[in-house]
Amino acid sequence: MGRAAAVALVFLVMVWVRRAAPEGAETRGAALALGFALIAAAVTGALFERARLPRISGYLLFGLACGPYVADLISRPMARSLQLVNGLAIALIAFVAGLEMNLLRLRPQWRAILRLGGVTLAFVYAVIFAVLWAAWPLLPIWPEATGLPRLAVSALATTVVVSFSPTVTIAVIAESRARGRLTSLVLALVVITDLALILLFTLAMQFARWALGGTAAEEVALGARLAWEILGSFAFGAIVGAAFAVYLRLVGRELTVVLLAVCGLLSVLGDRLHFEPLLAALAAGLVVENVAPPSGDALKDAVERGALPVLILFFAAAGASMHVDALATVGLVALAVSAVRMAAVRAGVALGSRAAGLSPPLSRLVWMGLVSQAGVTLGLTILVAAEFADWGATLQTLMVALIALHELIGPILFRTALARAGEIGRMDAPEEAAPA
Amino acid sequence: MRRYDSSEVGGPDILDVEVAASPRAGALARLRTRAALGLEPALAPAVVFVPLGVLLGPLVLGIVSEEVLAHLDTVVSIALAALGVFVGVAVDLRDRTSRRTLVAASVEALVTIAVVLGAALILFAAWGLRLDANPWSVALILGISASASSAGAVDDGAAGADRAAAAIANLDDVLPLLLGGVALAWGAGQPPLWAVVSAVHTVLLGAGVAAAGWLLFERAHGAAERAVFVVGTVVLLGGVAAYLALSPMLAGLAAGVFWTSAPGRAEKVIRDDLGKIQHALVVLLLVTAGASLVWTPIALWLFAPFVVFRLAGKLIGGSLAAWLVPHVAPADLGSHLIAPGVLGLAFALNFQQVAPSATAAAVLAAATAGSLACEVLGVWARPRPARG
Repeated sequence: MGRAAAVALVFLVMVWVRRAAPEGAETRGAALALGFALIAAAVTGALFERARLPRISGYLLFGLACGPYVADLISRPMARSLQLVNGLAIALIAFVAGLEMNLLRLRPQWRAILRLGGVTLAFVYAVIFAVLWAAWPLLPIWPEATGLPRLAVSALATTVVVSFSPTVTIAVIAESRARGRLTSLVLALVVITDLALILLFTLAMQFARWALGGTAAEEVALGARLAWEILGSFAFGAIVGAAFAVYLRLVGRELTVVLLAVCGLLSVLGDRLHFEPLLAALAAGLVVENVAPPSGDALKDAVERGALPVLILFFAAAGASMHVDALATVGLVALAVSAVRMAAVRAGVALGSRAAGLSPPLSRLVWMGLVSQAGVTLGLTILVAAEFADWGATLQTLMVALIALHELIGPILFRTALARAGEIGRMDAPEEAAPA
Repeated sequence: MRRYDSSEVGGPDILDVEVAASPRAGALARLRTRAALGLEPALAPAVVFVPLGVLLGPLVLGIVSEEVLAHLDTVVSIALAALGVFVGVAVDLRDRTSRRTLVAASVEALVTIAVVLGAALILFAAWGLRLDANPWSVALILGISASASSAGAVDDGAAGADRAAAAIANLDDVLPLLLGGVALAWGAGQPPLWAVVSAVHTVLLGAGVAAAGWLLFERAHGAAERAVFVVGTVVLLGGVAAYLALSPMLAGLAAGVFWTSAPGRAEKVIRDDLGKIQHALVVLLLVTAGASLVWTPIALWLFAPFVVFRLAGKLIGGSLAAWLVPHVAPADLGSHLIAPGVLGLAFALNFQQVAPSATAAAVLAAATAGSLACEVLGVWARPRPARG
C-alpha cells in the first residue's frame, strides 16, 4: 500500500512537472528522467520479481510504457539522455561477467563449451540462411535482389539475425544472483559465440561490399583493425583489471565509487581508443577473478550496490528507446523470423549438446539463454545501415522489431531456465554449495 | 582519526575539515586514508578541487570541455539537491536550544546578506557597472553566496564556543536557501511576486518527492534497494527543480526538513546512504565550478567587495548572533564563521545554470574566487580550538 502510494505520488509529480514545463525545459530533463526511472522502474522490477519474472523485464516494460511511444512521460530527448548511462552499464555488466568466470572452475567444461558453441552456431547460421534465402522475395529488406547480391545480403542479414546478447544474459544472471553449471555454460557460450559472430560479420561485410560492387577495404587494414579491436580490448581491459586488483589489495576502500569509475574509464577511454568496451570490461573482470581474487565480501557488496541502479537505468532506457512503431510495420515478418530463430537455436543446442556430451536437464535448458538480443545486434545493424543506406534501412527496421521481441521474451525464458536448474540466488551461497 | 559530532554538510565524514593525519603513519597507511584518495582532503575541498577544475577546464587543458560541462549540468543539479538535503536534515526544531540556534544562525546570515547586498548596490551605482540582469537580484544573489559558512568539525572534547560556532555554521544556510529560491527566480527574470510563488512551488514539490521517497525507503527490502530509492529520490529532487528552472537546493532543503520531521529513521537512512556518494558529488560540483569560471572585468570588480563585505558581514552578524547562544563571546563567533564551505559557490553555480548570462558568469567567478580567499582567511583568523 505504501509503495503504491509512493509510486502514485511520483507519477503525480512527474505529470505535474511535465505539464508545468517552461520553454526549453526539455534540454534540462536528464536528471528528471534519471530520478523518475530509478524510482518507478525499481518498483516495477520488484513487482515482476514477485510474479517470478525477471526484474529487467520490469525495467524494460516501465521504460516502454512511460517512454515516448506510449505515455510520453519520458520524452524523446529525455530517453536519449537516459542512454548516457549505457556505456557505463555495459562495462559494469561485462565486468561482473568476468568476475563470474573462474577459468579454473571452467577448465573441465572448455571442450564441451567449444563443441556446443561450434555446432549450435553452425546449425543456427545454416538454418536461418536457408530460410532467409528461400523466403527472400517475401521479406521487406530488398526483395528484388537476385543472384550474388541476394547471396551476400542474405549472409550479412543472417549474421545479424543470429547474434546473441551477452549484456542481457549477464544482466539476468546478475539480478537473479544465479550461479551454477547452466549459468557458467550459457555465459561462456554467449561470449564465445558473439566473438565468432563479430568475426563472421566482418567477413560477411567484406563479401557484401565485393558482391555489390562497392569499394572493399584492404584485407590487411581490416585484419589490423579487427586485431586492434579484439586483442587490444583484452589487453586494455587486463591492464585496467590489474590496476583495480592492486587497488583492492592495497587500499580496498570506497569500492562502489571506484568500481563505477573503473567501468566509466573502460567505457569512455575504450570507446575513444576504438576498443570494444564489452570485451575490455570482461577481460578486466577475468583478471580480477583469476589473477588476484579478492578476499572477503567487500567487492561483492560493492558490485551489488553499484549494479542495481545501473541495471535499472540501462534497461529502463532500453525500454524507452524501444521502437514499437517498427513492430507495427513489420511485426508479422518479425514474429515469423523470431519463431524460426528460436526453433533453430533450440534444435542447434540439441545437436550441439549431443556432440558435447551434455545430458538433460542441462541440454534442454541452454537454448533458453540464447534467445535475447540487444546492444550487439543493434550495433551490427547500425553498421549495415550506415554502409548500405537503401536496403540497410529496411533491414534495420526489421531488426529493431526483432530486438524488441527478443528483449522482452529472452530474459523471461532465461530466468525460467535458471529457476528450473535451481541456480537462482546461489551467488550468495558459499562456493562449495553451488552445484559442480 | 578524530570522532566528529558536527553534521556540517554530511555528518561525521566531513569534507569541510582538516584531517588529523598522524605524522608517524607510514606511506601505505597514508594511502589507505580517505584524504590520500581525495575523498577527504587535508585542506578545505574548494581549495583543492576548484583550481583542479580551472586546470582541467576549457581555458587551460580543455579536458573538461564545454560539451562535458553541458553533460555535467545534470550531475550539478543532483549535487545541489544533495547539499540542500544535508542542510535540511540538520534542521531539528524539536527542542528549544535548536530553535534558538536556528534563529541566531539566521540573524547572522541575514546580516551578512544585508551588508553584501547593500554594499553591492552602492558600488554598482558608484562604478556604473552595466549588468544584464536586475541589479537588486544580482546583489541579493551575491549576498546569499556570501552568507554560507563552515566552522569545521568539533570532536567530543571541543569547547562550548567551538560547538556553538559549528551549530551556527550548520544552520546559517537555511535562511539563505529559502531566500535563494526567490532570488533565483527573480534573477532569471520573473517578477518578485512570481519569484515568491516559484519558491513556494519548489518547497511543495520538494516535500512531495520527499514524501514519496520516505514511503519507499522505509519499506525497502534490503540495503541495495534502499540505496536505489534514496539516490533516486535525491536525483528526482534535483531533476524536478532543474527541469522547472527552480532551485534544487531549496527542493533538497524542503525534503531534508520533511525527513527530519517524519516518523521513523528517515533522517539516518538519508545520512548513511547519501553520505556514500556525497564526496563524489561535492568534488564534481567544485571541479565543475572551477571549469566554468570565466574571468571578466565585472568579475574582477566584484571579487574584492565580495571578500571584504562578506568578512564585515560575518563579524557583525556573528557578534549579534552570539547574544542568542550561550558559551561564545560576541567577538569570537564571526571569526569562526569566515570559512565559507561549498554552499556559497554552489548557489552561484546554480544561478549560472538557471539564468546563464555575462552577469551570472561574473557572480560565479567572484563568488568562487571570493570563497577561496575566505577559506585562506578563515584558516588564519579562526581561533585556536580550546579543549572543554
